[in-house]
Amino acid sequence: MLVEFEELQRAQSGDDAAFNQVVLAYRKRIMGTIARLIGRPEDVEDVAQEVFLRLYYSLDQLRTPEVFEPWLYRLTVNASYDYLRKQRRRNESRMADLSEQAVMMADAAAGGRENSERKHQLKVKELLDSLLGTLSQEDQILLKLKEVEGLSLKELEKIYRVKENALKVRLFRARQRVLKAFAASQNLKSSDTED
Amino acid sequence: MDSLEQQLNSLFAAYRGAIPEPEASSDFMPRLWGKIEAKRSFVYRLKKMSQLAVATALAVCLLSSILINPFTQRDPQLAGTYVDMLAEAHADETVAATGGVRLDLLDAASQQ
Repeated sequence: MLVEFEELQRAQSGDDAAFNQVVLAYRKRIMGTIARLIGRPEDVEDVAQEVFLRLYYSLDQLRTPEVFEPWLYRLTVNASYDYLRKQRRRNESRMADLSEQAVMMADAAAGGRENSERKHQLKVKELLDSLLGTLSQEDQILLKLKEVEGLSLKELEKIYRVKENALKVRLFRARQRVLKAFAASQNLKSSDTED
Repeated sequence: MDSLEQQLNSLFAAYRGAIPEPEASSDFMPRLWGKIEAKRSFVYRLKKMSQLAVATALAVCLLSSILINPFTQRDPQLAGTYVDMLAEAHADETVAATGGVRLDLLDAASQQ
């Protein structure tokens, strides 16, 4: 826990200063998770604000402070998923997105890093995003939480309120699909180099 | 396949590093509190409006019951059932007027 139980309880009872402290303690972590889940740096702050807005209006429903972190993660996952769903509805051009993302990534990564490193990072991101594109948005988020965020199955169980075995099956299937797409992309790459 | 698995694992690890940790802008907290206040005032307005609507509905109910009540009060002459009205109109033909039926006479008739 990044905040004391007492602070959380004060925030629950309507203490705005305590809520401020909770936001400040978790803001960086939540924004990092959102950035990896939605993949659009320019919208991370808006989604994070939505998470904390939902937190403010539902904090009184939290029964025990022990479950606060999984609960906050659940709010984050839901807000990210809502964002991705809205994005899909907007039906924006994927190519435009990628170029905009590339610019944002380059801007964000700027500051001392070498150009080649940035290029490599962009390549990694684009490759994994295209591999994850073979999955549904729900499975993309689940797999990212496990593989990129490094959450354990126990933690995922608390966030999703789903039995561990069901999560294991879902994760295994998602990973197999990504692996298949990865194998196909590697084959394509090797055939390109042969030509 | 194992090497592919390992490559995928390292790709996931590299992905985490490829996405820079975003920094919150300086107006993050003021914007958040602005949204909280806006929602709070919206909820407050909604609550007030619903209270007003309930109060108005109650007043309309009360007023309409006051206005409609005199019309539902029947004329005493019209009160009562159809049989009562008939009995009242033909008072001289009622059982009371003819003195009633003697039960002993009825019994004698049935024995014959």
